[in-house]
Amino acid sequence: MNGLLSTQAFWLAVTLLVFEGADRLSRSTGRHPLCHPVLLSTPVIIAILLITHTPYATYASATSVLAFLLGPAVVGLAVPIWARARLIRQLALPITLALCAGAVTAIVSAVGILSLFGAPRAMLASIAPRATTTPVAMQMAAELGGVPALAAVIVLFAGVVGAMTATPIFNRLGIRDYRARGLAIGVTAHGFGAARAFQVDPTAGAFASLGMALNAIITCVILSVVQLFL
Amino acid sequence: MIDAIALLFVCLGLGECLHRVAGVPLPPSVIGLLALLVWLAAVRRERPMLQSVSGWLTAHLSLMFVPAAVGLIDEGPALARYGIGLVVATTISTLLTMLVTVSVFRFVVKRTGSGPAPVVTA
Repeated sequence: MNGLLSTQAFWLAVTLLVFEGADRLSRSTGRHPLCHPVLLSTPVIIAILLITHTPYATYASATSVLAFLLGPAVVGLAVPIWARARLIRQLALPITLALCAGAVTAIVSAVGILSLFGAPRAMLASIAPRATTTPVAMQMAAELGGVPALAAVIVLFAGVVGAMTATPIFNRLGIRDYRARGLAIGVTAHGFGAARAFQVDPTAGAFASLGMALNAIITCVILSVVQLFL
Repeated sequence: MIDAIALLFVCLGLGECLHRVAGVPLPPSVIGLLALLVWLAAVRRERPMLQSVSGWLTAHLSLMFVPAAVGLIDEGPALARYGIGLVVATTISTLLTMLVTVSVFRFVVKRTGSGPAPVVTA
């Protein structure tokens, strides 16, 4: 039994099965942000690790092939950006300025507010890339001396908040420009926001996924430059 | 299909190189993303395979970061101490970013007269 608990096959099977179950549950709720498969499956897997007394390091190395795929997946984000090159050219100025303003706001407000709570540097580094898509946030957090797991959870939480509040807030403010709505939700709530935007309006969805992909680049560039001066 | 996968890894490898050797402070995958963008702009043609490979990867992104999220198991003390700060900071920052982005976009569109006609390219 102890041997089995350190094999790749066992932990990959557990992870895939738990995730598949979570994914079905999520689909049955119409992809409600609170029922995101990662949010549902993470506590279940943590419970399994605790029950079997398996150290996280064992689990992480057994499932490292999944994390490995994040690298090529992030590179592949170039494809949807390129597919929307025409949108970017048509609206180059508003997209660029809104994106930069959004990225700076996300970083400064998150780090600023968290530092009021006296959080240590590693924690500030974990929240700094909070508006980027999860895999990028994890890698950027590690780059800055933060904790990838914390970054992942912060980003997921931001996604839930953004996806649940965007539509009511924009409707109340009377903002009907779906390009602006989409871009904003993509910049602040990445994949969650894009998924929600596609449910509301196709234009919003296109701008949301563009906002998500471009923000991954802009936020990392800003943080890297800032890091050089710290 | 192999060529599409190879292209992704060539870009990622270039990212690793620039990161480790040249000391570019961006994550290797983000450098790879930029390299692939340059490649797509330089060599223009239809790439159905690259689209399906990267589409497949993006569709399964969530599964790939489950192992990282499980790493929270070791962050109990940090979460207990700063959990409220994290929730407050993340919530306010998310809402503020949304409002700033939407306002700047609308302001610039109005100023430059890019017109309200929505462009659908889904």
